[in-house]
Amino acid sequence: MDASLIDAFGTGDAREREESWRYSKAALRALSQQDFTEADEQAPLSPALRAQFEWPQTQGRRLVFVNGAYAPACSDTSGIGDALTIAQAVDRRTLLTIAAGFGGTLHLVYANVPSAGATRWQASSEIRVLGGSAHVVEQHVGEVGADVLGALVSQFQIDAGARVQITTLSDLPDSVSLYRRTQAALADDAVFGGAHAILGGRLQRFDIGIALAGAKARFDSRGVFALRGRQHADVHLDVRHVARDTACDIVWRGVADQRARGIFHGAITVAAGADGADAQLSNKNLLLSPHAEIDTQPVLEIYADEVKAAHGATVGQLDERALFYLRSRGLPLEEARRLLIGAFCRSVFADVTEAALRERIETLLDARVLAGGGGA
Amino acid sequence: MLTIENLHVRVAGKEILKGISLTVNPGEVHAIMGPNGAGKSTLGNVLAGREGYEVTQGTIEFGGKPLLELEPEERAAAGVFLAFQYPVEIPGVNNTYFLRAALNAQRKQRGEAELDSMQFLKLVREKLAVLHLKDELLHRAVNEGFSGGEKKRNEIFQMALLEPKLAILDETDSGLDIDALKMVADGVNAMRAPERAFVVITHYQRLLDYIVPDVVHVLADGRIVESGDKSLAHRLEEHGYAWIAERKLAGAA
Repeated sequence: MDASLIDAFGTGDAREREESWRYSKAALRALSQQDFTEADEQAPLSPALRAQFEWPQTQGRRLVFVNGAYAPACSDTSGIGDALTIAQAVDRRTLLTIAAGFGGTLHLVYANVPSAGATRWQASSEIRVLGGSAHVVEQHVGEVGADVLGALVSQFQIDAGARVQITTLSDLPDSVSLYRRTQAALADDAVFGGAHAILGGRLQRFDIGIALAGAKARFDSRGVFALRGRQHADVHLDVRHVARDTACDIVWRGVADQRARGIFHGAITVAAGADGADAQLSNKNLLLSPHAEIDTQPVLEIYADEVKAAHGATVGQLDERALFYLRSRGLPLEEARRLLIGAFCRSVFADVTEAALRERIETLLDARVLAGGGGA
Repeated sequence: MLTIENLHVRVAGKEILKGISLTVNPGEVHAIMGPNGAGKSTLGNVLAGREGYEVTQGTIEFGGKPLLELEPEERAAAGVFLAFQYPVEIPGVNNTYFLRAALNAQRKQRGEAELDSMQFLKLVREKLAVLHLKDELLHRAVNEGFSGGEKKRNEIFQMALLEPKLAILDETDSGLDIDALKMVADGVNAMRAPERAFVVITHYQRLLDYIVPDVVHVLADGRIVESGDKSLAHRLEEHGYAWIAERKLAGAA
């Protein structure tokens, strides 16, 4: 599927012309000037890298991919049982089928391991959820070193009445670039929820394409990108209400410090005949430095009658009144900033019900966004 | 404790305070009264260190040291507390977490041991009882969804918890009904002590029936035009601020 994705991403030729890459052109061009060779799928994982994803909570339910390739030796599937089937196909393509009895969490880990020179990988996964409810944690980690460029296409097929929650945690060193495209088609009464944290990386592009194809299907998306240095993140949501009485609720936030660059594009289309649709989008962003930039673009296109829709987007700075209030009570400036930025990001993950996972995300947010405190 | 001399302050290029001198000794309660726009809140904000207030002349000493050189958090640690006229809502920041972080930050700056959560909660319960505040407010975000009265009582609760040397109450009485006003006054009176001073900024004399001041100052057009004992507040209430303006004119003539 879409074998040309990484080529397009790496060279930028085809997509550079596209409107959807307009804010990432320069970052793409820099990448396209490098020579990438195929990444080593046998690369060993360091203990430090393993420590990032070997969580006790997901023991026995963890699939690890090294530079895009499924690595059974690094994975731990002892607790998965019969409800999940894993099939491998050519071109680093993995097919996962989750039956109704699965329950619990499936942990997918994508490890970026550098070689001597710049390398790249591309992989795809097709995840079919037949029924019941499943929670997928998709985690992207990387080793510091030479440049790695990865591309992952995840295709979800969510059958009638099934519920899928995906939590993605992409925490990458500045030498790793990652292009993710997550697509989902939802049948009647299916529910797809996502919570995403995008931290670090040289260039992170994340496309989410959703088709609410079945009646009463519902999509929820929560996410944050928190960037510093010269990190660059570009998030595109494209939600299509096709069937009747479908709903989407999108809440994303962005923080950019120093010279970081963030882009949020949220497009919702309500097709003709998709009456009773409820579409909500909110995007708030925080600039922590005069050299940081965030571009946000909510797009709402409605071709149906009887639609409830609302969208809003803001880019602003830390609330000076709140900052003074905290300082007047004795909190040092840096601590007051941390508290406000942390609160801004964390609010998005209030719906993540697994406390251990939520704490993990919060700890990472605190460590990555606030390292060194920022300062204008 | 607090010595203000010939203080001139500009806000957005406009002179608001035009030469204020004021001495507050430990144990005293000073009331600052005056019409809207007189500069009352400006005085409170300058003392707490808010940005956007340009001191063009004059000095402020607190505990024998120049206050204006300190950052807001350093002033807090030194013992200055401002109860805000409009307490700020801070979504996502838990009230208890914030208060403990604030108290411990102050203690750390003063070289005192930080309180653990057990010690802190014990202190919180003692102070909550005085202000008749519900426990539940502590678990919410700072001031978020609080009623006007709850916000003001929360300010006084914070003051009780932080135990400042100098507390400045900026129109804490505005928007309060009589019951809430009494609770606020009870909270303040419970804290009156020989080593602690209060500057109570208010528009109305009503609050001063419950928090009885040692000295009353009348601030008009950026200057203290009259100082006296508590009876001054009553005379003001009777005659209105116009009476002060007339007296000022008469004095100038």
